[in-house]
Amino acid sequence: MAPPVIEADGLGRRFGGRTVLQDVSFQLQPGEVFGVVGPDGAGKTTLLQMLAAILRPSLGSCRVLGEDVRRNAERVQARVGYMSQGFSLYDRLTVAENIAFAAAIRDVPKAAFAARKAKLLAMAGLERFQDRREGQLSGGMRKKLALCANLIHEPPLLILDEPSLGVDPLSRRELWRILDAARAEGRSIVFATSYMDEADASDRVLLLRDGRPLALGAPSELRETARGHVYSVRSSTPEVAEAALAKLPDVLSFQRRSADEVRVQLRSADAPPDIGLHCRELKPVEPTMEDVFTVASADDAPRAALPAPERSASHEVLVGAERVTRRFGDFVAVDDVSVQVKAGEVLGLLGPNGAGKTTLIRILCGLLAPSTGQARVAGFDVARQSEEVRASIGYVSQKFSLFTDLTAQENLTFFARSYGVPSREMKARIAWACERAGFAATDAGLVRDLSSAVRQRLALACAIVHRPKVLFLDEPTSGVDPLSRFRFWRLISALAGEGVAVIVSTHYLEEATYCDQLGLMMDGRMIALGTLQALKTELGLKEARVEDVFLGFIARARGQAAAA
Amino acid sequence: MKIARILAFSRKEVLEIVRDPITVWIALFMPLVILFLFGYALSFDVENAPLIIVDHDKSAASRALSDQFLNTPYFRLVDAPQDERVAEHALMQGKARAVLSIPPGFGRRLKQGEAAPVEFLVDGTYASTAAIVSAYGRAIMYAYPNGSLQLPVQPEVRVWYNPQLRSRDFIVPGLFAVILMAFPPLLTALAVSREKELGTIAQIYASPLTKPEFIIGKLLPYAGIAALQLAMVLAAGFLWFKVPMHGSLALLTVLGLLYVLCTVSIGLLISTLVRTQVAAMLVTLIVTLMPSFLFSGFIYPIFTMPPFFQAYSAKIPTMYFVNISRGIVMRGAGLAEVWVNVAVLVVYTAVVLILATLLLKKRIA
Repeated sequence: MAPPVIEADGLGRRFGGRTVLQDVSFQLQPGEVFGVVGPDGAGKTTLLQMLAAILRPSLGSCRVLGEDVRRNAERVQARVGYMSQGFSLYDRLTVAENIAFAAAIRDVPKAAFAARKAKLLAMAGLERFQDRREGQLSGGMRKKLALCANLIHEPPLLILDEPSLGVDPLSRRELWRILDAARAEGRSIVFATSYMDEADASDRVLLLRDGRPLALGAPSELRETARGHVYSVRSSTPEVAEAALAKLPDVLSFQRRSADEVRVQLRSADAPPDIGLHCRELKPVEPTMEDVFTVASADDAPRAALPAPERSASHEVLVGAERVTRRFGDFVAVDDVSVQVKAGEVLGLLGPNGAGKTTLIRILCGLLAPSTGQARVAGFDVARQSEEVRASIGYVSQKFSLFTDLTAQENLTFFARSYGVPSREMKARIAWACERAGFAATDAGLVRDLSSAVRQRLALACAIVHRPKVLFLDEPTSGVDPLSRFRFWRLISALAGEGVAVIVSTHYLEEATYCDQLGLMMDGRMIALGTLQALKTELGLKEARVEDVFLGFIARARGQAAAA
Repeated sequence: MKIARILAFSRKEVLEIVRDPITVWIALFMPLVILFLFGYALSFDVENAPLIIVDHDKSAASRALSDQFLNTPYFRLVDAPQDERVAEHALMQGKARAVLSIPPGFGRRLKQGEAAPVEFLVDGTYASTAAIVSAYGRAIMYAYPNGSLQLPVQPEVRVWYNPQLRSRDFIVPGLFAVILMAFPPLLTALAVSREKELGTIAQIYASPLTKPEFIIGKLLPYAGIAALQLAMVLAAGFLWFKVPMHGSLALLTVLGLLYVLCTVSIGLLISTLVRTQVAAMLVTLIVTLMPSFLFSGFIYPIFTMPPFFQAYSAKIPTMYFVNISRGIVMRGAGLAEVWVNVAVLVVYTAVVLILATLLLKKRIA
């Protein structure tokens, strides 16, 4: 048998006094695809950088391609392909120049270069764009190009850090097609992802959380560990079933799968959930990788009952945008978008990075004036009455706009004061906001020391302390583990139940099931808008995942663009 | 070390530079802007110094002495009162820089061959200007008609290398050194820190490109730009400001190339140590631009500084090129006269490049 490509033994890394990763041991065989899966801050990037020998391990030992990563770092660096997070190529160079540069510094022989380049660019669908600057490609194309640049020297080992982060579903599929071809040629692949479903594409998976391995094994083996913990509940009144599930301490989380099906994850595998007469059918189902992660992190989940959403009594239209367009120079960031959100409704904006979600949210918050069209929020015009708009909304931005050098309490007090909460109500209002946001105000330390899941709840508390009528959340769940995401969505549903209109952007497509209304965005346009059920019907699909619905609408939008 | 990899890296760098026209314009025009700014604004010559003459004598001789002052380009008359107190008040207000006071009986004493004292008051607030004004005043009086104010000893002072003491001829060759220290390293330091900031450096780390290849590959294009900057400031200095060249232009150009290689290397060293573009810019300004103005002999001569600051100045390469540039341009010096400075620059450049190569990590941490 060939020697292993990677032999990691007790690998770990400390930064300053903090251990960000420890106890990672595994072997990677030639041709194997290895997924490193976990939420933000789990230590994925640290692990991958150590495997590429560009970060020195502080604990344990590691050999890559037979070389020690500490002593022979240069030899490892020279032979692997490493694609870092974000965009790693030169934006001022064209596609062809970037590939030529990557080949030249990696000693690709002239004779082999032309053929390899042609093959890779054809596979990535980039041959037509050879003379275009890298910075002018879409996010998905930039990622595909970066992958080509890392395959040009035909490395035996590819190390990819979140290759599909923020990429549209179509490009994501193409990316995986290129990787499948590389694997067919016998290359080993290590990739990191925070999308649990991508783990299924690998031969073996390492689940990481808070710098420690949670589980290691083939996807089928891992799913086996969650067997008996996952049930499907069919009910004609799923709301009632969900309310019953929320009261059971054994329930970790649940998701609405369709109009009459709810999927439940349980702490123990002993018995099905006891929800009495509310269900038509109750059966154990095959666990997904998300389920595995949720069940594996059960020890940290609080046993308290989950907040129960109610149905809002009011149906007042709180957000109304009509033909809103926003240009930046020649670039149209938001293109002719109309949308309505009523009190108690949750609108989910879905789409890849650069689709215009954030710009649309900024316009509706009164932070950015529309170029044409108009929008009213909570009864005020966003362009002319932006002061009034801002006083009646809550906004959680992508990076949680908290002051990281202040404590949680100081942040809450600051936001309450700046929104004009009267001093005598301050204490009660902050307590209310913390309770609604699921934030335990006992955390005394500075915000920068809090984990991202805790920060996310604090940001929510700060955004609702003035009791806004409309709540905007810009990718609040990005990079957060499934269990924390589930609990966060429960809080949002509960707020909606009290009559708040909520607009959430996300690129986790499966989160669409938590929303009353979906808006699919692509290149600034709203290519589809409606309930998930309505969108499926529109495409003539019966049983379909959100991803298929999205892909269907992308194909249709491209077809229309080509026809026009 | 593979030449092909170095060239590929340099080529990529050139493409990036060329496609960022704003940076190219700033790189080429900022040196000229500074050269023109300082070339015109900075002057130690004194002309049209406001003068007050108090003539109590009113003889033909006293009028002749007054005319002698006013016929030069150095002084202009602002007032001619009869009272010293008026003159002193004007001096205190800053309306006049000097007062010439001629006592009664000046003409009569001269005729009788006696010593004829006159008073020349100079405002000493600007010490260097005051020294020049008093020297001019003294020179005019010594020359007064046919040596009638003669001293027993007659020194014959001659100024070599810049006989008219034109300060521009002295400032422009010094500016060559300061400007080429300020701008080439700035651009270079930003180039590496930009790659760190954008994350493009990761693919360089994870590649066979070695540290010396990286350093040389980065050095070449920026040294090229610095050579252009050198050509531009030399052209402006000799063709526009018409600074007389007493030595060899070829020698100055060759040593100038050595000097910019040195300053670009300093930029490269800084950029291996910092992470962000802002930090690179600040550190470069602190390390290169600021000491270049003060501790290079550009304006303030080093030989008059206390020993500590003389030793400090010796650590900054600007001083050596100020010596080389002024030596060649003003004194017509050759390699035989400036070789010590050249040797220091060669060693300096080598040390900086070796340090940069050693300190470059080719790792995240």
